[in-house]
Amino acid sequence: METLIGLNCSAAECTSLSPSAPIWQDVLAQAMTGELIAAMNYTSLSEICADPEEVADALEHAAIERGHAARFAAEGRKIGVDVDNNVEAKHWKRLREAFLRCIAERDFIGCLIVQEIMLESFAVASYARVGKVAPGSLGKTFAAIAAEEEEHVDHAMAILRAERALDAQRFDEKVYGLHLEVMTTLAKMLAKECKDGHCEVCHASCMKPSLFDVSLSAAELRGASLQQYLKTLDMLGIPGEVTLAWVSQLPV
Amino acid sequence: MDVDFALIGHQESWRAAADVLAVLRGRERTPLPDDEIRDILPWIPPRAVCHVEVGSIVSSKSVGAKACGLYIDSFIPPDRLEAAYVHENIARVRAAAACAIKAGAKIVSLGGFSSILIEGNFDQLPERKDKDTVFTTGNTLTVAFIVQGIKKMCEMEGRNLHRSTLLIVGATGDVGSGCARCLAPLVRRVLLSARNVERLRRLAAEFEADGVQVEVATDLLENGGQQFSAEADVVICAASLASPSLLLGRVAPDAIVCDAGYPKNLSPSAQMPGAKIFFGGLGQVTGGLRFTPDFHGILNRHPFPDVVHGCLLEGMALALEGRFEPFSQGRGFITPERVKEMETIAARHGIYLAPLYNSEGQVEHGFHCQKEWPSAGTPPSEAWTGYPPASGVP
Repeated sequence: METLIGLNCSAAECTSLSPSAPIWQDVLAQAMTGELIAAMNYTSLSEICADPEEVADALEHAAIERGHAARFAAEGRKIGVDVDNNVEAKHWKRLREAFLRCIAERDFIGCLIVQEIMLESFAVASYARVGKVAPGSLGKTFAAIAAEEEEHVDHAMAILRAERALDAQRFDEKVYGLHLEVMTTLAKMLAKECKDGHCEVCHASCMKPSLFDVSLSAAELRGASLQQYLKTLDMLGIPGEVTLAWVSQLPV
Repeated sequence: MDVDFALIGHQESWRAAADVLAVLRGRERTPLPDDEIRDILPWIPPRAVCHVEVGSIVSSKSVGAKACGLYIDSFIPPDRLEAAYVHENIARVRAAAACAIKAGAKIVSLGGFSSILIEGNFDQLPERKDKDTVFTTGNTLTVAFIVQGIKKMCEMEGRNLHRSTLLIVGATGDVGSGCARCLAPLVRRVLLSARNVERLRRLAAEFEADGVQVEVATDLLENGGQQFSAEADVVICAASLASPSLLLGRVAPDAIVCDAGYPKNLSPSAQMPGAKIFFGGLGQVTGGLRFTPDFHGILNRHPFPDVVHGCLLEGMALALEGRFEPFSQGRGFITPERVKEMETIAARHGIYLAPLYNSEGQVEHGFHCQKEWPSAGTPPSEAWTGYPPASGVP
């Protein structure tokens, strides 16, 4: 495993960088942006919750996600890079807008589907893959945050399964509607090449072609994310042949 | 919906996998490029792909007019069928089996490598609550169709099976040993080839006790290999050959050769110009077969309508019969009596030996065979030109 700069210095103080540091910088920037979007989503969710316990839960989740973003920023400093974020970047902005539409409709279930089923599947799977190959504390942090994200997916699953039990057809149609919007955007983000131009998060050119240098690939991150998404939908009880067709229709 | 049966399978080529994904993606969308399919497919968890409805030619109170089921794909990537991936593939078959149990399937047939992987290890299948889902390898009906095919080819070629020397490659496997038990009493001499010498000796001893003239070899290429099989004029390849050229020059030049391996890889012109090769173990449904969505010619890629591997047809036949029992399990238990019983059940519901064909097309005449093999985008009405004439139905 390559040695990264592991000093307790600020990014500005570090004078020499590992050749892979710019790649991790972009990986961290995407992760940090995702965590901040999640924090914003949970804060918004708290505003439509009627039950004080749900309000507290949502705010607690928002704080946890902000904590994740801070840990990613700290990992960047350890390897000598500043980790930027851009919640206004085109894909992330579209994902946030999809969530806000659910908020506008005071659609608590829709919010959980977008955040917990779709965005968290992506986060859990991709962080876990990064956690396996990233060196030192960087890898440990990704792996630990993947595990934490997976835990709070469990909490939402119980609510969503109960909702599906009331009217499976209506529930599945709702998931499909959100899938078309959110997963299409995520699929474009996860495509092997960014066909719509710069993602507005990577600090220079697209980092995807460089992922091979750190034993990752865009195809692997996409595959793992879609697999996690399908497994999560299976846990909800949506028929496998239905969800397979949904995923097969996504852009590549 | 009641799930009478589930069929577990996988795609044996990237083209087949591409066609499956093209149907799921919808004809209005651009098909996925090949490199994307190779990237995506290994990540797909085993799951149902489509609903299957099979019709019987009879209907009464005791047997059903139709049975409904699911096709579950284990999504074993076509380039990962080798031994190196065995643990990964067993995990996939287990996950596919779990899907069948979750769907409430009453009987599950294991197709292709699924049965090979689990054949001797049924304990590797997932736990079943109340044991209300049973599993069958489907090998008994596969054996029935191989044996029927050999007899039919002999008849077509004017050969006397009783004067033949039968060579079985992969003789100690479940299908190979089942074929040997059915055909040994009918031929002059039996040659058995397999890798495991102990199993070979045990099988040979079984036949010798019945007065059958039998010889064994662990490797057709070993010293004397050519002499061992040179007289073989009826050959069953029950195991997919590592190299199809293995048989070249090692069997009688005009031998009848049944390619019963998986995937099928024997080609008549290139490898054995004089041999009469056919693909064995295939049956045809005549009571109607429907896939939803429409996977006709995609999941069953044969040049005749409603042709399916015998192993999968066994589950459908048992479902139509209302016999939800693990008819074929383990290795080496297939007897001529069980084969007879299974082919009787299948025939009762209109499931017969498929018209014989090989990689170059039809072997027997009088059947309408499409010129090109089906692919996505070929409407079923154009792909399939109808059932064989009455002579094809026993």
